[in-house]
Amino acid sequence: MGNEAMHEQLKKSIVDQDEDAVLEAVNKALAEGMDPREVIDKGLLPGLNVIGEQFECEDIFLPELMQAALAFQSAMTVLEPKIKEAGGAEQKKGTIVIGTVKGDLHSIGKNILKLLFETSGFEVHDLGIDVDLFKFIDKANEVNADIIAISALLTTTLIGQRDVIDALKDQGTRDKYKVIVGGGATTKEWADTIGADGWSGSAYDAVVLATSLVS
Amino acid sequence: MKHVELLTAKQVERVHDASLWVLENVGILAHHPPAREIFKAHGCRVEADGLVKFPPEVVAKYLRVCPTSFTFRGRDPQYDRTIPDCGPVVVTGSSAPNVVDPATGVERRATSTDIANIAHLINELKGFDIFSISTLADDAPPGQFSLSRFYPALKNCLKPVRSNTPNMDDLRQVIRLGELIAGGADAYRERPIINHHYCPMVSPLTMDVDSTEAVMYLTERGLPVYTTVVPNAGLTSPMTLMGTLIVGNAEFLAITVFQQMVKEGTPIIYASLPTVADMRTGAYAPGAIETGMLCMAQAQLGHFYNVPTGGYIGLTNAHSNDAQSGYETGMNTLGAVLAGATLLNMGGLFSSLMAFDFGKAVVDDEIAIMNKRVVRGMEFNEDNLALDVIAQVGPGGDFMKSKHTKSLMKTTAVFPKVADRGMRAQWEAAGRPDAQSRARAVARGILSQPNAAVWAPELDAQIRAEFPGLVAGEATWKEDETTA
Repeated sequence: MGNEAMHEQLKKSIVDQDEDAVLEAVNKALAEGMDPREVIDKGLLPGLNVIGEQFECEDIFLPELMQAALAFQSAMTVLEPKIKEAGGAEQKKGTIVIGTVKGDLHSIGKNILKLLFETSGFEVHDLGIDVDLFKFIDKANEVNADIIAISALLTTTLIGQRDVIDALKDQGTRDKYKVIVGGGATTKEWADTIGADGWSGSAYDAVVLATSLVS
Repeated sequence: MKHVELLTAKQVERVHDASLWVLENVGILAHHPPAREIFKAHGCRVEADGLVKFPPEVVAKYLRVCPTSFTFRGRDPQYDRTIPDCGPVVVTGSSAPNVVDPATGVERRATSTDIANIAHLINELKGFDIFSISTLADDAPPGQFSLSRFYPALKNCLKPVRSNTPNMDDLRQVIRLGELIAGGADAYRERPIINHHYCPMVSPLTMDVDSTEAVMYLTERGLPVYTTVVPNAGLTSPMTLMGTLIVGNAEFLAITVFQQMVKEGTPIIYASLPTVADMRTGAYAPGAIETGMLCMAQAQLGHFYNVPTGGYIGLTNAHSNDAQSGYETGMNTLGAVLAGATLLNMGGLFSSLMAFDFGKAVVDDEIAIMNKRVVRGMEFNEDNLALDVIAQVGPGGDFMKSKHTKSLMKTTAVFPKVADRGMRAQWEAAGRPDAQSRARAVARGILSQPNAAVWAPELDAQIRAEFPGLVAGEATWKEDETTA
């Protein structure tokens, strides 16, 4: 199979949101000697671009976007070790620390966002739910994060987002990180009020936001 | 689906007995002499002044021959609808004199071009099953009052078209139009695609001349026709819901028995538009909750008689697409479908049947789709319990990633076109569009496209040759974008 046909098959398997087909195409491409970076850049990412466009015009729905992203992620578990073997460094857009604020056990929106961040090339450190404010800061410091992303679904836990920003200010490290907030209880106004660097109403838009913050 | 019932089975029987008592002892005043003759020839007592008294056994005899379903036919048979089985069947409200001009937003007299545009819209909106011609046509040439409504309606809509005619000349013209479309009189008798509707019963307990004559004419010929009874509590029926139900039911029994006397086995619908007059001013109130309640009780009577029921349910007194318009149409139609009504004349009209509005029709389409979702029900079956998926995802997991979700996400819930489910910030960024402007955008999207429902030029030429001077009947959407 020629390289172009292979790129097309990789792309199609992502567009079809078919994890088995993605893995089959990836293994086939590697067996034919294709460079793992080429598998990603010429095959899988163009597929994800199509998925993104389809999602934006509501041709596909969120669960379909998720399944394409999951298929991509499982392809990456095959491809990443190959890239490292070949001595190539992973190309990443940036590093994000993500979690749901103290007192809030809601994780689904945060998990969707995590998956989309990873799919779009960020290194993501997920602190989970009910995260103490200092855990955000300590982790960001440890991994030298570019962005701290804080989720809150409940109006009663919203204040935890401000607490993180205030604590960063108190420590004098506020400028070291971009802090973005989101979740069902949040609004653009809230984000402005607490001095966040960004807010998004959807996981998809949050990826665009994070990308613009690190570029 | 288990139906909601406002009356017990005993109470329903009492309403039936009470209606029989009214028919036997109070009677129906029949103004049309041939109708009196039919009543007399089939066992009713007809007094000198035209008062008809019905022995209960005569009513029982003709109720027994009454079919249990009614079929609406369209130009394209795939849009044929039979109730109660296909119910709820959703119909536009009809015969408003005015339209809210889509360009200016100002109410004005409606024309045949408006009817063509409305027909195009209703043909495309999936919630609607039947196009009852929404407005009159102020531009009708002399002698073509009804043709100027039916021609643009039929030309632009493949779904069943329904309406009335004011006199026999108009009725014969309209049937001739149907025959031309069908390809001849025989073909038309096979598939009569004009669905006639009249209100020959004038509350309280009176039968008119013109509509009675039309109903007789159509019934004799086996052409589809049904009637609506319209009691108005405090004016034409007692100021109780029960008394109004009984007057309407007696009228329904009278016209139904009449149709069966004319031709046994004639399909009918128990249709009504019951209201309670607003006694603060005497105002007509078809959007009031009591209309919905009366339609619910009437649905129980329909089940008792084993005939399809419904009527003008979901009208509104509101003059714009505002909260009143939404709650009056929404609450009343939901009540009716929960009770098992299968015909809803609900779409597109403001001001108690006075004006058609394109945005209102789109919102009503959405309400219709929601009501149909309710009737589709909980879809109880072992698969839908989804126990394997519940176990597979487990505590703290998420169903977003499950293939089960993906396979059912497009069919489990309704996707509204008008209702906004975005966040406030997005809505503000979009300029705070209200439901009416979102609905108008949907109408604009449909009407700016060519209408594939229009029939072949050869047929059109044939029709226009038969009826010289006929209106154009073209759907042409003109809207000033600045006011859109």
